[in-house]
Amino acid sequence: MAQVLSSEHARLIRKLETIAVLSDKEKAALAELPLRLKSFLENTDLTQEGDTPTECCLIIDGLVCRYKVLGAGQRQIMSLHLPGDIPDLQSLHLGVMDHCLGSLTAGRAAYLPHAAVRDLTDRFPNITVAFWRDSLIDAAVAREWLCGVGRRTAHQRLAHLICEVYVRSRALHLIEERTFELSMTQAELGDALGLSTVHVNRVLQDLRRDKLVTWRGRSILVLDWERLQVLGDFDPGYLHLLDGAVS
Amino acid sequence: MVSRLTRNLQHYGALSAEEQHAVESLVASTRMAVVGEDLGVEGDAPTHCRVLLDGQAFRHRTLADGRRQIMSFHIPGDLCDLQGLFLAMDHSITALTHCEVGLISHARLSDVMEAFPRIARGIWRTSLVEAAIVRAWMMGMGRRTAYARVAHLFCEMIERMRAAGMVHQNRCHFPITQQHLSDSLGLSAVHTNRTLQALRGEGLLSFQGGELAILDWPGLKTAGEFDDGYLHLTENRVLNLAGG
Repeated sequence: MAQVLSSEHARLIRKLETIAVLSDKEKAALAELPLRLKSFLENTDLTQEGDTPTECCLIIDGLVCRYKVLGAGQRQIMSLHLPGDIPDLQSLHLGVMDHCLGSLTAGRAAYLPHAAVRDLTDRFPNITVAFWRDSLIDAAVAREWLCGVGRRTAHQRLAHLICEVYVRSRALHLIEERTFELSMTQAELGDALGLSTVHVNRVLQDLRRDKLVTWRGRSILVLDWERLQVLGDFDPGYLHLLDGAVS
Repeated sequence: MVSRLTRNLQHYGALSAEEQHAVESLVASTRMAVVGEDLGVEGDAPTHCRVLLDGQAFRHRTLADGRRQIMSFHIPGDLCDLQGLFLAMDHSITALTHCEVGLISHARLSDVMEAFPRIARGIWRTSLVEAAIVRAWMMGMGRRTAYARVAHLFCEMIERMRAAGMVHQNRCHFPITQQHLSDSLGLSAVHTNRTLQALRGEGLLSFQGGELAILDWPGLKTAGEFDDGYLHLTENRVLNLAGG
């Protein structure tokens, strides 16, 4: 009897297929992973610094970020996570969370028991490779953001972030057109880019005035993809997507 | 020196004699590198991983406008380019000091990891810690003052070197120049210099001729708002104690 693939498992498989080639057998095994669905509200913590999780969390809908807060209350957002991502995959091997995982929008997550993920990786070395590849890409993204806060101008940083979310969203089949949702406030963008809210606002206006992007509510319409990439010094190589993952 | 690699991989309990032997036998050949020599270059698709056996190295990338960003420093026992196992290199690795580098062929590494899943997990784990360190640097440049950034970097290096047995009486060899510091922390040369002087002036550290001495550890940690959780050393330390 053919197995019916749940939409939650389909999210995970789609994500892994953007970075690794999976056999039918491996996909069938992934589709049997037990999961526990849970909804979350906007601005809530899915996992907190200091936690010792026994499950990984697969994002099904919504936008999630890694962040950390300094003593003075200043927050740094360290990565953005889209449906299909497992942002705390590291908890499989690093016992204690060294940052928080928080939602930027409402959404749903599917929790995967570590034991089940370990069992799967023990049985299918190629699934281990896919997950490992994902954590290496995660590190490559972190290095790219590091270059951004260290060496890029505010305009480059914002353009780069929009380019990244756009390319990743397309690869995950979350969008088809040049319109996509970046559900972040200007303060949250500032936290991700190491900029003040006022600075983010000014840069957003410049991008709009230069007809690179336009905003409608939370939706961004990319007007000039070529120029936006040039401005952001954006080369999607660091996302290490397989050929054909972004059509 | 390879035993430092073994130690890094002991998170899932002490490795068996057979597993330790497998780790020690990974290095098929070694090579020497002089100061400033590239161990790996952006765009490479390496067939080997490099483990630092002696000396120090750093990873960096030069942006389109010629500005360099240093992304991490490496000490003996570190696998410097594990990324190359599955991905093309998106940055370069350069020797900070004279280095002895062990070469581990990807094919051999894959065989060993398939035969010993605990070794695979241990190596995977080192790549996760590496990412956590990059995020800590990102946080520093995004949100910390120059003063806290410099203090944080020295705290990180002393803790990592301490775990690797390279710190003696709160002193270690860390021969970076002010240019390296600037390129690591996103600061101008002038700003870096002034900040170093401030930390020295407050009696927190001395840093001369490549020798770093921590004079006031609690003070330096406070200056850098340093919390070593992201280095994930504790689990290892607990195991080392348990193992005597």
